[in-house]
Amino acid sequence: MARNDIRLRRQRMTTGNIARHRNYGDIMERHERDQKWKRMFKVFIYFLIAAFLTIILIIVLRWEQRENKDLNANTKKAIELASPPMLS
Amino acid sequence: MTEAEIRQEYEILDRAKRDSKHFGILYEKYFDRIFNFIYRQTDDEDLTADLCSQTFLNALNNLNRFEFRGLPLSAWFYRIAANEVNKHYRKKKTDRVFSLEEIRIKELMDQGNEGWDEDLIKQLLVYFKELPTDMLEVLELRFFEDKDFKEIAFILDITESGAKMRTYRALDRLRKQFNLSIKYDGKK
Repeated sequence: MARNDIRLRRQRMTTGNIARHRNYGDIMERHERDQKWKRMFKVFIYFLIAAFLTIILIIVLRWEQRENKDLNANTKKAIELASPPMLS
Repeated sequence: MTEAEIRQEYEILDRAKRDSKHFGILYEKYFDRIFNFIYRQTDDEDLTADLCSQTFLNALNNLNRFEFRGLPLSAWFYRIAANEVNKHYRKKKTDRVFSLEEIRIKELMDQGNEGWDEDLIKQLLVYFKELPTDMLEVLELRFFEDKDFKEIAFILDITESGAKMRTYRALDRLRKQFNLSIKYDGKK
């Protein structure tokens, strides 16, 4: 069981005392800073996604190119093997 | 709080979602209450000020996530504040503080002409010390913040019946141990 420290206060906090700690301007400033970071983070994530997709696209295109090259080479070989040798 | 007042607050909240400057109205309205609520659980003015600002900042940063549940907006602020206090104690790993106003305790205990002496107060403090934290949280919200069980359930993320059960158990023990009559729900 958690331990609790129970204290007794003779006085209630006065509104004046509490008012010293009010600072809405600071909260707004921190909020705007947080929003700015959030926006920057979002842009960074979008950039990462775009970069990832671009890399995937490049890999696929290169793979396709290599496949075509191999296919062409195989076809050429097959034609050469299928055609009768030239008599000279 | 009437339903019309709750609706009015939600309208302010909707405006604040579009333009955060409108949040100032809610900040001004609830700052004192949230400050007192946190102060009762920390007994440290500077720490309370930090946690209180963090509470309102979290609320402001998460306005779009807020869902209407028919409860006063204050319940949402209390919930964030309670989470901030819990987070603080989890991080610091120190004893949890409950700093109770003597005058409020006297108001709650209907002593009549009988003596309200220092010994009784000391015994009460010992009694509160023996109560588990979750029971103290419920008692604080019910008797020091005047929250109803629906709100307490939302603030502490428990069921309404759970909040009721904790309160009545604590009160029964208090009545038996001290032979006190407590002003509560019109019953004694």
